[in-house]
Amino acid sequence: MVSITLRVNGTVHQMDVEPRWLLADVLREHLKLTGTHLGCEQGVCGACTVLLNGQPARSCLTLAVTADGADITTVEGLAQNGQLHPIQDAFWQEHALQCGFCTPGFLMTAVHFLQDNPDPTRAEIKEALSGNLCRCTGYQHIVNAVERAAKNLREKSGEKESIQTSTVEG
Amino acid sequence: MTTTKETWVGRGIPRVEDPRLIQGLGEYVSDIHFPGQWAMALVRSPHAHARILEVRTDAARKLSGVHAVISAVDWEDLRQPLPDMKPLSPPALAYERVLYVGQPVVAILADDRYIAEDAADLVEISYQPLTPVVNVEDARQDSVVLHPEFGTNILDYVNFVSGDGQEALKEADHVISATLQMGRVSAQAMEPRGIAALFDEKTQSLMVYHATQSVHRAKERISTFLQMDPNHVHVIAPEIGGGFGVKNGSYPEEVLVSYLAKYFAHPIKWSGDRFEEFLGTYQEREQTHHVQLGIKNDGRIVAFVDTYYQDNGAYPGGGVLVAHNTARNLMGPYRIPHFAIHCYTVMTNKVPQTPYRGAGRPQGHYIIERIMDRAADELGMDRIAIRMKNLVRPQDFPYATGFPGVVYDSGDYPQTFQDLLDIVDVSAFRVRQQQARAQGIRLGLGLANYVEISAGFGFEGVHFRLAADGRIELATGATGQGQGHRTALAQIAADTFEMPLEQIAVVEGDTRRIDKGIGTFGSRTVIMAGNAIVIGGQEFLEKAREAAAKILDVKTTDVVYHQGTFSAPGTSAKSLDWTLLASELQRASHSMPAHEYYFYSNTATYGFGCHGVIVEVNEKTSEIRIPRYVVVHDGGVVVNPLLANGQVIGGVVQGLGSALYEEMRFNENGQPITTSFLAYHLPGAVSVPDIEIHHRNYRAPGNPGGYKGVGEAGIIPSQAVILSAVEDAFRDQGLRLNYAPITPGRLFQAMHREEAKL
Ligand code: FES
Ligand code: FES
Repeated sequence: MVSITLRVNGTVHQMDVEPRWLLADVLREHLKLTGTHLGCEQGVCGACTVLLNGQPARSCLTLAVTADGADITTVEGLAQNGQLHPIQDAFWQEHALQCGFCTPGFLMTAVHFLQDNPDPTRAEIKEALSGNLCRCTGYQHIVNAVERAAKNLREKSGEKESIQTSTVEG
Repeated sequence: MTTTKETWVGRGIPRVEDPRLIQGLGEYVSDIHFPGQWAMALVRSPHAHARILEVRTDAARKLSGVHAVISAVDWEDLRQPLPDMKPLSPPALAYERVLYVGQPVVAILADDRYIAEDAADLVEISYQPLTPVVNVEDARQDSVVLHPEFGTNILDYVNFVSGDGQEALKEADHVISATLQMGRVSAQAMEPRGIAALFDEKTQSLMVYHATQSVHRAKERISTFLQMDPNHVHVIAPEIGGGFGVKNGSYPEEVLVSYLAKYFAHPIKWSGDRFEEFLGTYQEREQTHHVQLGIKNDGRIVAFVDTYYQDNGAYPGGGVLVAHNTARNLMGPYRIPHFAIHCYTVMTNKVPQTPYRGAGRPQGHYIIERIMDRAADELGMDRIAIRMKNLVRPQDFPYATGFPGVVYDSGDYPQTFQDLLDIVDVSAFRVRQQQARAQGIRLGLGLANYVEISAGFGFEGVHFRLAADGRIELATGATGQGQGHRTALAQIAADTFEMPLEQIAVVEGDTRRIDKGIGTFGSRTVIMAGNAIVIGGQEFLEKAREAAAKILDVKTTDVVYHQGTFSAPGTSAKSLDWTLLASELQRASHSMPAHEYYFYSNTATYGFGCHGVIVEVNEKTSEIRIPRYVVVHDGGVVVNPLLANGQVIGGVVQGLGSALYEEMRFNENGQPITTSFLAYHLPGAVSVPDIEIHHRNYRAPGNPGGYKGVGEAGIIPSQAVILSAVEDAFRDQGLRLNYAPITPGRLFQAMHREEAKL
């Protein structure tokens, strides 16, 4: 057993893990954060995607020991104070999920993507989602949702900026 | 003054299911964790056909953290046949022989899956390999018979004849022949199969959490296998990560987990992984058809003759049903006065077949649509004209296809097809196609029509009850796997009770909440459970009026119900809403109104429509791109257009998978060689176009709600339409495609094969 520390959705956890345990299993079995799903354990489907120090990572291909000291965000960490993240809300409004099994992975991928590229084209969105598989939706509504979320996020940050500007001016 | 009543049905509202799912709070079987639970892992056969000589488990047993290593050599109960797989049920654990790669031989129970898999590696099984039978051509010869006690590899033969059958070919001016095939596909829901069970010694009852499409059937199978009183077996389907038909059947893992949880009186869970999903989950589609179409000079069909063989795999897992349903779909939406169909289901050393989304509908339409293309090409006729000539017309309704029980009843097939042609703008496309060709780009247009036959057998029910908080709870045995039934059924109920949606709660997939159920497959749930709400809801309302009468102290006949309120006009009684009714009933210690209603119907519904696709083929790489995909679709009364679109788009994209990429391949020893997402390609976000959907809403005449199925519409003609389009791109070369999927490799071969050309 190896002792590691993980900061998950803002909470610090210290725990003993076997060197072979996958990060996905530690999140799911030990921290009971079962929103991170395992669709393939082969690194292909993206259902297990979490943010590891801000970068999307496949928790099925990551050994928990190698994440020692890392800051991790899972799907459970997206909503803040009972408020859905704009990307979650967009998935809901656009019917971007059916069975919902792939959804956490898509959400985490999209969160990171929109930070990098706040005003993407449809083709860029598809490209960004190409590492995630969904068997139910046919992707179209997921792409719609990311488009909608991008717009909402831009408007929100626009609001913030204009508030900031006006404070400066004031 | 006329007012239009606002209804919930018909509104594309976002789903009530989603808030939990998008926050990662949905509970799937793999998320269930009983304190101290043991994980089950399976040792599966590496041979397609072999005798088991010896099973040595000592080393595995000794591993720390392992609780049991179980083989049917010493567990006779586990030699019992799996329920519902007659007449050739496999044992729960194979003994003496194995008949497909992936068949479970040894079960291991351990503290966690890591240890269980370590132990699996320590199990030693000696096999004597036998000659594998891996394709129907060999299997039909019966030189090696999989089940000697059955005497033949032909599991089932049935024929269907209408009119003069084969004889009618003589009346044809031309007889067009072709051998058309479809490869094997695998459903590959994102959530692998899984099951967890907990036995309560005190009540002697078994709780099973099961990724199944039918909790009641699972309950029946489990209680049969365990020889338990069904009243002591409870099956719950929590969230299910996609089903597509293959989470519906009888599987070894279902009875193993249930049996072992009871035997050890210890909670046990099996969460399949992706590799097991490729090996052990039942598959579909694989068929070879030898077709003849008799046709007049003017393009009119006189007769259709088809002899086909379905590769069923090693045991009856539902493959026969698929073969028969294929026959039912071979006429498509066309008038075919005479036909003869010979349908063989043949056993091979592969994992069994079971219904997968479409379940014979895609196969039947693939055949009729492709042979129509072939006929048009050979007659020098337009592929559109031949379809227009033969489509069932509105004046033909009710139209009996000649297949027992199938009577098309509604819509306008030719007009809908014409609408598709207009939307696609065929003449403009032909011009573009020419221009592109001049620039070295090959474009092709594919068109296909379909009928989506849904429901038409059995029943589904709803248990209504007034909950303590005043909400109306509806429990149904038809469990969803992502379709959004909790929303759609609530919309139907909200209209039935003239109430806001928030006051309705739908409970799915719990055998404790409703006595009977069949399950969700074949797009039947909204039709069956939806109508149960429409009709049974009135009976429940009657009971609620009786209850209200007691509280209001008036006669039941005095009570009027209107938009959520019970009142007794002309009396001095106050009025009650549901919340008040619930609290008053509780205060008076009266029972809450409850009612169970089952909707039985043998009347199928007949949605229909057509798909049009434009493909762009790279001649050098044989890569096929899809710039445009249009669907014109009739789904009857659509409860929630947002959900219906999701079903159609999702179906089309799955269909594109089986048209372009997906195929389970096996080597000559019956070894599956496509057992990961790297080898078996699912469509991804980049490879699929946005699907354009145009709805037509012809009410189903055969049920009160007017609903039709929408779950298969997207997938039915997808293989037909893609192959048709690719051929069209190479029209000048007379390309002939006879096998789906059309992968780049296969297209390359077809383009470079002389006999592929006219
Ligand atoms: S589970 Fe990690 S990529 Fe599929
Ligand atoms: S919603 Fe089911 S896999 Fe994506």
